[in-house]
Amino acid sequence: MYFVAKVKEDECAKYNCKQCVLFCPEPNCINFLEKKGTAWVWPDKCKGCEICVYVCSDLLKRNCIEMVMVQAGD
Amino acid sequence: MGLEYVKISPGFERYMPRDYVDLVKMGQFGRQVDVMDLGQFKELVEDHPMCAGCYMAYFIRIFYASLPNPEDTIVLGTAGCARLALSQAAVPFIYGNYGDTNAVASGLKRALTIRFPDKHKDVVVIAGDGGLMDIGFGMTMHSWFRREKFTTIMVDNEVYGNTGGQESGMSPKGVQLKMAPKGKQFDKINAVELAKVAGCVYVAKLSPTNPKRIAKVIRRAILAARHFGPTFIHAYTSCNIEYSIPTREVLADARNREKKDFKFYEWMTDEVKEYFEEMEKKEVKA
Repeated sequence: MYFVAKVKEDECAKYNCKQCVLFCPEPNCINFLEKKGTAWVWPDKCKGCEICVYVCSDLLKRNCIEMVMVQAGD
Repeated sequence: MGLEYVKISPGFERYMPRDYVDLVKMGQFGRQVDVMDLGQFKELVEDHPMCAGCYMAYFIRIFYASLPNPEDTIVLGTAGCARLALSQAAVPFIYGNYGDTNAVASGLKRALTIRFPDKHKDVVVIAGDGGLMDIGFGMTMHSWFRREKFTTIMVDNEVYGNTGGQESGMSPKGVQLKMAPKGKQFDKINAVELAKVAGCVYVAKLSPTNPKRIAKVIRRAILAARHFGPTFIHAYTSCNIEYSIPTREVLADARNREKKDFKFYEWMTDEVKEYFEEMEKKEVKA
């Protein structure tokens, strides 16, 4: 069981901003899907540092990313 | 080194690991990527064992995304946190002994210039504050005195993070660390001024708060090193473990330091300035 970021895709698609992708310290962890205009997290790579949550919620006040618990095999 | 070494031989694609196939098909080799397109291409650096929320890892991620020619680049590192991520990238990496990175880079750059006289091969040193300003101080300074044509990047976390938190020459005055319980007695070394005096042609100091600007500075430092002489970047990359910064506050801390002692600073000689101005004019025309 560990803590990873999860993008609320419906809300994220409203903004097309990509700022969380630009500030994540992990390579290819948060990616951007141009078709839908939303960011998505690769849970295997996420270390749960919450920098994306800081960018999305504290700096931009958009609240599109939340932290969730995942089980092995999810 | 070189594009032909990167490509997969015909017929072998299905036997190669998925990550490698992605790297060749959707990576940075042979094309210029914009750092603002991060998340839409396969990055050079792979999963690495650096701590969660480490901003040195972030700086290294942006560094690899902004290389002008990754297939013609060699990166040098030394003991310290940075090599944990540097060694996980699809760019040749050389691990120098503690402190001799700039001496190794000098020899390497000279050899590459003789071996490939018609090509630019970039050599970049990325080491911590201990590797460049404490233990490697002599070799760093002498590579600048000799005006060797390569880039030196100092990822300054202001502490010896790997070995339990000893103070380094770059720790700010008065800071209390695990193995400096009385607080540091001396001032932080002014690395940027040292680099200017020692003969660097391009010097920059930054806090990683703006990926576009980091990319611009790194590209400029590498391009200036190709033609003119040594270049130096001093980047603030906080250690969230030794300085007890909650991971969520790491970017806030970088922004905070940018307002205080890590204001963006860029200095270059007149000839380098002229070169960039001409280059930018050409880019606008194109």
